[in-house]
Parts: sequence; structure tokens; C-alpha cells
Amino acid sequence: MSKFINRLTSASISRRDFLKGSAVATAAIAGLSLAGCQSNTVSETTEAASTSAAATTAAQTTTAAETSTAAEVGTEHTPLVDLEAEGTWLPASCWHNCGGKCLVKALVKDGVVLRQKTDDLKEDTDDNPQQRACLRGRAQQQQALGADRIKYPMKRKNWAPGGGDNVNGDLRGKDEWEQISWDEALDMITGEIKRISDAYGTKSVLCTGSNGGSVMAKLGEYTGWWGTASFGTWWAIPGVLGIGDCCIDVKNLNDRLDLRKVDTVIAFGINPAWSSLGNALNFYRQAKDNGAEFIIIDPIYTDTVSSLGAKWVPIRPATDMTMLLAIAYTMLEEDDPDKNPLIDWDFLNRCCYGFDAEHMPPDARTDENFKDYVLGAYDETPKTPEWASEICGVDPDTIREIARKLGKDNKVALLTSWSTARAYNSDSLPQLFITIGAMGGHFGKSGHMTGVSCWNYAANLGPALVTAGTSNLPPSDRQTYPATNINGTELWDAVLNGKFKANQMLQYTLYVYSQWETFFPEEVRTTPAPEAECDIHMIWHDAAATLQTLDNMSAGIKAHRKMDFVLSQSHFMTTNSRYSDIVLPVTTMWERGPSFTSGVNRDIMLVADHIIEPQFEAKDDSWICDEISKRLDVYDEPAFGPEQQFFNQMAGCKVIAENGKDFEPLVTITADDIKELNVEGEPQEGRISYKQFMADGLYQVERHEGDNYGFIAYEAFRNDPEANPLCSHTGKIEIYSQSYSDLITNHGYNYLPPIPKYTPFTCGYETTFKDNDIHGEKSDYPFQAINSHYLRRSHSILDNLPWLREACPNPVFISQTDADAKKIEDGDTVLVSSAYGKTLRKACVTERIMPGVVSLPHGAWVDMDEETGIDQAGADNYLVGGNPTGIGVSGWNTQNVNIEKYDGKAIPDDVDVPQRIYF
Amino acid sequence: MGRLGFYFDLTRCTGCKTCQIACKDKNRLDIGTIFRNVRDFETGRYPDVDCYHYSSSCNHCETPACLTICPTGAIYKADDGAVIIDAELCDGCGKCAEICPYEVPKILPEGIAGKCDSCKVRRDKGENPLCVDACQTRCLKFGDLDELEAEYGPDLVNTLPFLPDPAMTNPSILIKIKDSAKDENYREKYM
Repeated sequence: MSKFINRLTSASISRRDFLKGSAVATAAIAGLSLAGCQSNTVSETTEAASTSAAATTAAQTTTAAETSTAAEVGTEHTPLVDLEAEGTWLPASCWHNCGGKCLVKALVKDGVVLRQKTDDLKEDTDDNPQQRACLRGRAQQQQALGADRIKYPMKRKNWAPGGGDNVNGDLRGKDEWEQISWDEALDMITGEIKRISDAYGTKSVLCTGSNGGSVMAKLGEYTGWWGTASFGTWWAIPGVLGIGDCCIDVKNLNDRLDLRKVDTVIAFGINPAWSSLGNALNFYRQAKDNGAEFIIIDPIYTDTVSSLGAKWVPIRPATDMTMLLAIAYTMLEEDDPDKNPLIDWDFLNRCCYGFDAEHMPPDARTDENFKDYVLGAYDETPKTPEWASEICGVDPDTIREIARKLGKDNKVALLTSWSTARAYNSDSLPQLFITIGAMGGHFGKSGHMTGVSCWNYAANLGPALVTAGTSNLPPSDRQTYPATNINGTELWDAVLNGKFKANQMLQYTLYVYSQWETFFPEEVRTTPAPEAECDIHMIWHDAAATLQTLDNMSAGIKAHRKMDFVLSQSHFMTTNSRYSDIVLPVTTMWERGPSFTSGVNRDIMLVADHIIEPQFEAKDDSWICDEISKRLDVYDEPAFGPEQQFFNQMAGCKVIAENGKDFEPLVTITADDIKELNVEGEPQEGRISYKQFMADGLYQVERHEGDNYGFIAYEAFRNDPEANPLCSHTGKIEIYSQSYSDLITNHGYNYLPPIPKYTPFTCGYETTFKDNDIHGEKSDYPFQAINSHYLRRSHSILDNLPWLREACPNPVFISQTDADAKKIEDGDTVLVSSAYGKTLRKACVTERIMPGVVSLPHGAWVDMDEETGIDQAGADNYLVGGNPTGIGVSGWNTQNVNIEKYDGKAIPDDVDVPQRIYF
Repeated sequence: MGRLGFYFDLTRCTGCKTCQIACKDKNRLDIGTIFRNVRDFETGRYPDVDCYHYSSSCNHCETPACLTICPTGAIYKADDGAVIIDAELCDGCGKCAEICPYEVPKILPEGIAGKCDSCKVRRDKGENPLCVDACQTRCLKFGDLDELEAEYGPDLVNTLPFLPDPAMTNPSILIKIKDSAKDENYREKYM
């Protein structure tokens, strides 16, 4: 098996054999893409060539009789062969954090993947659409079988254990690599963990992933990190204001069939056409087909805007709060309960606290209310559309028009993605967003909804209709120790300088959701987070892309170079691995045992099978942790193995009953199944047989209008808020939230008022001007940059796949107006620079982006030129600094940059950049 | 049965390129060879802008120029009109690639011509071409052009501002368009 990829890299097998259905040729031709035909392709060609030659000869021999066909039009032609006739279709994991989660299948023969397909199990209808995989899912084979997989344990040549002069830390990212054995690697790793823990304490080990963390937790207190990730400031909102976030709590919006009843969809920053492939856009389209009009507010004219025929309202990044405040102002100004009822006073008065002076929450410690703030009572600035327009760039009449559409008698879905809240100082944005929805009463009724619609659940919210069971694996009796988690925006500076804010609260708020107050009572949330110190000497990376996807990458690289030891478990030479000392090859999900896919949409359950044997010397992350644990004498034998764990999950799958209330077992399991699987269990009756489920890879609950599976978010709350309180401190929607203000203020970065007020954002629009004066001169970084999610990858994952690099070139997007002023033409290599770093990209000059804004797609793997310090790959976080604000939000959509035509050598297309292949 | 061909709903396509990748997988195509291609266009000026995408492969023309010029007889029309290259007969001369006004046939690294065969084998089993079943927004169909026109027409076209005169080969395609796709001042983007 270890030579499988080498065989695939051969180009000498004939397409004619492929077209005759030869499985060997099919795999070999697949290999052309896997190898990418790059200059640094694997050099072990002798065996590859001989294997391929043998295969070709064999194929030619068996088909020689067919080759003497007469070369005339109209004569018999070589019969076409069914290439799917060979092999078995197996459901294959597509496990990425992509905003989709669809069905992927692989055609496997003799352990070799011949091709892929997606859901073809049933007729594709609007009510019950197929769960079709996107371009990334269909290229998954190039990840599992990539020629650039890490094949063996590797060590950086000029690094040796022991610290001090052995480390040569400055060479991280530029050193050469040497192959080492698993035993050598594991011994060195364990030796360093022991040495560093003894010398500096276990807290000097920073674990960026859960695998390393699970080992360190058995040794002592260690260091980890936390961040707001994709959520932005929606991270801490749910537990505190009582509203869902579209991830941990998916009961925040009505379900997809109710979406069809909406008159107007008003949406900030949603772009499922790029960010939530799968069916989200199709569900929006069904709303459109049923008469809904769409208004989408976004700096980019996205494909979602275009394909839904939406009204496009371009807006400057990080200024949404001004527009929302002006909407509130307009609604207040124009509302007349008799002649022009816009505001749902009944809902505001019964279900919310803090809208006006007459409805303040009992725990308020100031007397400020939202209405008076909007009207200008506290700062002599009425939040008029004219006021907002100067900042957000949306013309006042458009703001007024949208405010009118938000009136209570219109069925409105007021939606947002998390993107607008991935901005520094945006802590009050979710609260303001909810407030606007509450003003129109767009909660708790059919056709009315307010909240986040994005990621894997976009356009189809509500509790899951089918759920997987748990493994029932009992935890070990061994004592474990907690991690001290450092906020991501200050992580690398903390590693470099040894200081950080010990704000351990909000990182957990999300996960304890409904019981957040039990964990963080008032005395805790009113105590300021203390300054703390750290002394990190080792970084342990696994199953995460921390250095690539976290803020402040430039400081992160320096932090890595300061370490005694950096370990990375990885599929490829990712950014984490590039700056490490030992890189361990880990298996992909295709090489592991069967598994359930988490985070799927509410209608489905996905199960995936084992597809291929581990490539080269790759091992599971769990095996690596076990081996390290054994050497550290902290290994615990699990109560039972992965087969039993998987079976328990399978047997525990539940599906909603027809009554829409109860849940029933999903999978029928026979005594023969249990015997065949060699596990402990009882036979059970369900909807689908075990064997069928494992063959299909998918179970989908059938939906139709009028079924019992619909969902109206906050319906019970709206009808009787006292009997059905939200999980906010007051039980109501907190337009004034003393708890939220206390939590964030004491987080330690800045004061946050209890009502949503606008102050200019760090690295927002105002900061593109000298002295933040929007009527004055532009600063050295006059553009706002945003990091859109990109079709080529899921965050940083899949960025290296040749088919995707060919299809999606990853340019930086700049408006025609700005390009003209900067004399930049389409395709020019441009230098994008911020106060923190510089990167090169080819420019895509377009009329589809607001002037003053550039979009640098999220997730490209940094490729820094050591001479110039300029990144060649368009790595977004290389331009991002460490700016802790509010809850410690990662502010990827608040960046100030400059962009100019590059006077150096033009960069190649990404697809022509050699793959990172070692050994 | 009437003439068969692809229907493409340009109003729905978001340019996600899933069809392109599905086709590359099915046909095992290396970098540099694309049978089904998705191109990105925009029209208008900010903020009155629009965009559209065009996903295309072989048009299985009624009068295919490639077939006429092929010196070895490798290119033929199958029983249902699909234009197919017989890999055994092709000598890789490249004349088909030169003459096709849509630049469809490609000379593969192996030295023979290749292109979309409308997944003839799948269709013979009653299935759709793979790209049709891969499409995220359900904007690709394949079938009897008269029936497709009856279902999705009547304003379907068989050309776009950047495509050659359809009279040259009479392509078997139907495209549902929007106004912006009629604009001669289109700009192609590589995004």
C-alpha cells in the first residue's frame, strides 16, 4: 500500500485502457491529478514506471483484438465501457467545517478509489432535495490520496532535543527536513515533554488541539487558547441575551418550509452561494419562487444577490450598526399605531427589557434606554439615516425604505450571517440586530423571524429531526487538570511577551448556554479579569490550523521561532507544520474506521465508512496520543474499542416520530449484524436496516407542507413570556442587558454599555482616515479589507488540492474605481499591505465590490519570502494584527490595508506553484 | 425522440464549479484539461452591476465541425446524436481541436483527443450526465431539446455574446438567460 501514490503518479498508463474500463488505468489516470505533474514530484519513479508499464502491457494484451477497427465514418466503433461496473460505492466522510455537510461516495475496487459521486438515492424535489456535494466534496480524493501527503515522521534537520543551542529556532520555516522512524519521533517528543515540563512546568506547553490537550491534561495544568472563531461577537450572545446563535442553539429561526411564507427577506452578509454550499440557496430560492423579495446588504455583489435577483445594498464593512440604528430611528419617527403601524409595541412591551424608559429591567444600574439613545438624548446625535449614511455609505432613502419594510404588518425574515460580527468592537451588533427584529415583532410567528442564518444550518433552522447516539465510552478514572486558555487575539503576543488577560469566562458561555448564570453568577461576572503571566516553551499542534487561521500570524511565526520545541500532527505541510520541528503523518477520515458526520442539517444523518488503508506511514491522532501516553506512563486502556463505540452511536440514533414530538430508534439492527460486527448489543427495530444505512451513507427525514416537523422559533415565548422565559438573566430579550455589559466590561479589554451604542470600530471605516476624521484625509492604509470565505477551501483545509486550485485562482478583489485610481489592471500582481504584514495576489478588478473595499479570500496557506518578508500566497491572517477588544473577537472583517501594483516579479497562478512534496 | 442536448439555466447558476470538478473526476482529467468549463462574467457599472456564469461542455452539434474534419473517422455520432471520439481510432492530429468554434476537443497528455461524450454510458442506463446530477442549483439538464423548451421556454437561446455564430455548427444547447447576459459589453473574470 505504501507505494500506492507512487504508482498513481505515473503518467504512462493509457487513456485508451481507462476508456475500456480498466480499474488500474482509472486509478493511474486519477493519479495524474494527484501528483499534479509538478517539478518536485516524488522521485521514486523506478517502481512506479515498472508497475505502470506492466499494467499497460496487461491491458493492451487483453484488448488487442478490439484495436483493429476500420477507420471509417459509420463503421463499428469501440464500445463504450461502463466505468462504474467495477468496484463498490462506499459512503465517504467529508468532514470539514465548511458550511455544508453533504453526501460523498467513493467507488472503491481492491482498496483503490476509482472516482466519486454524491446523493443519488432518491428523486430530487424541492421538499426533499438530494444532499449534493460541492466542488470541494467532489475533490476529496485529492486530499486523502494527495501526492503531497506527509508520508513519514519528519524532523527539522537543524533541530535537536534539549533546548538551548540545539534548537536553532530561527530556522523554523526555512530549514530542511529529514525522515525519521516512528520510534525516534515518539521518543524525542516524550523526552521534550518531560524535559520542558520539569524545567518550566506543564503550563509551559501550549496545546492548540484537543488531542495533545488530552495527553497534557493527564500530566498537569497546561495552556490552551480560545477564540470567537467564525461566530464573531455572536459567540457570547446566546446565553446572555436569550437568543440563539445558529450553532449551539439552532432553534433561533423558523424552518425551511416556513421560510416560503416570508414576504421580505432582509439579510446582512449572507452568501450561501460561496459559504454554505448544499441546499441553503435552494431553500432561499423556494422563498423567492413563492413571492418573497430579497434585500441583501453586503459590500460585495455576491452570487447569492445575483441568483436571487435581490436588491443589492452595498455597505462599508463594520458599519452595519449605524445602518441598523438609522432603521430604528426611522421606525420611531414614522410609526403611528393607527395610521402607519411599524413598531410592534405589544411585543416590545411584553417580551423585551430596555427599549424605553417605561420598560427597564429590574437589574439595571444605569437609566439609559435604547429609544432615547437613538433619538440622541445622551449624545445629542439623533441616529438619523443622514448620520448613518456618512459612515456606512448607504443612501438615506434606502435606509428609510428598508425601515418601512421592517414594519410589523410585513412578514419579514431579518437575517444575518456571522460575518458582520467578525469585527473588532462589534460586541453590541448582535444585540442591536435582535432589537431591530423585536421592533418589528419579527419573532415567534409564521413568516416572521430574526437571527443568524448561516453555516451548516443556513435557511433551515430548528431542532434536529434525526440524531446520532453517543459512544457511551466511560471516562477514565485518572485525574485530569484544566487548561488555562488564552484569547486568540492576544495568544501570540502572550507567547512572545509572557502577559495576558485571564478572562476564562466567555469562552465557556457558549457551551453552557442555558445554564450560563449558574456557572457565572453575578459576583463572578462583576469581577475584572486579572492580568496573568505565561512562559511557553513548547507548542503542540494537532487537528487544527491555529497558526494559519488565527489573528496575528506574523507574531505567531515569531512565537514559533522562540520555542524549544514545536510538534505538528498533520496531513500536509500546512502552516502549523512548516514552522514545527517534528511533523507526524496522520490519517484522514477516509483511512479510519466508520464514523458519523457531526454538524449536519436538521433533516439528515450522515454515516461514512472506511475507504482506504492508511497511506504510507500515517497513523490516527488517537494512536499517536496513546503511544505518547504510554511513554509518559499515563496511558489508560479504554473500556472498549472503536468498533463498539461506533456501534453504540449507531444503535443510539433517533429519528422524529410522525407526531413531531417523540423520537424513535432509527436503525434496525439484527442479531446477525451484532454477530458480524463482533460487538455487544441488543437487536432493535428502526426505520432503516443497518446494512442499508451503511450502503446509503444517508438517512433523510421526508418533509412536506403540513407535516408535523415544522418549527417556529420563540413561538411559546412570544405567546407567554412569563411561562416560557428565555435564558437571559431577566428571561426576556435584553435590549438593555446589565449582565452582558458586566461580562464584557470585566473581560478586561474595554467598557461595553448595557444598550447597543455605536462607537467607531478598531480598524473599521473611520480608521482609514487620518485622526479618524471621515471628512479629512485618508490614512496610509486607506482601504477596508474583508476576508470572505472562498469556494476553493473550507477555511484553510483543501487549499492544496490541484483541481480546486485550477478552478479557483484566489485573487484579491478590488473595485474598478479604485483600480483605475491605482493604475491596476485585471490580472496584475498587486501588493496588499497592512500595519502587520504584506502579501501578493493577482488582482480581480470588478464592479461587484464597493469602492474603498478589497476582499482577500480567507484561508490561503502562507508562503513567506524570507528575504522580503512578503507572503506570496494571499494569507489573510498575515495582514491581521492582534487587537483584543470586547469579548476578544477575532476581527477578520475589520482590517485597514493599502493595495498597489507590485513592481517586482509577477506571481504565478496558484495552480502552477509546486505542491509541497517531501520524500 | 428529437435532438438531445444540454439545457443551462444561466439565471440560477452561481458559478460554484461543482460540475467542472465532477466532470474532471469522472473523466480523470489532469490539470490543464477541462471538459466542462465554468466561466465568470460581469456587466454594468457599480452599483448597477450584474454577473452571470456559463457552464459549458461539448454542444453535441447537429453539424459538428470536428466530425467532418476528423481524418481517421474517430469522431462519430452515436445512435442518439451524441458526438463521441473513439479513442482507438484517434491519432491525436489535433484538427478537431483547431476547427471546433467552441474549442471543445482537447489534446490530452496521452496524445489523443478527448471531450465530453454527454456521459453516454450513464445515459444508456437511464441516468443523467454526471454534471447534471452534480449541479448545486439544479441549473443543468439534459434531454430532448423540444421537451426542454416546452418545460423551460419559450425565451431560450443557443448563443451568448461571447459565443460563435450558432449557424456554424447548430449546437444542441438551450440557455435560459437574463437581460445582463444579452449585454455585448460583458467582462470575463477569473475569480
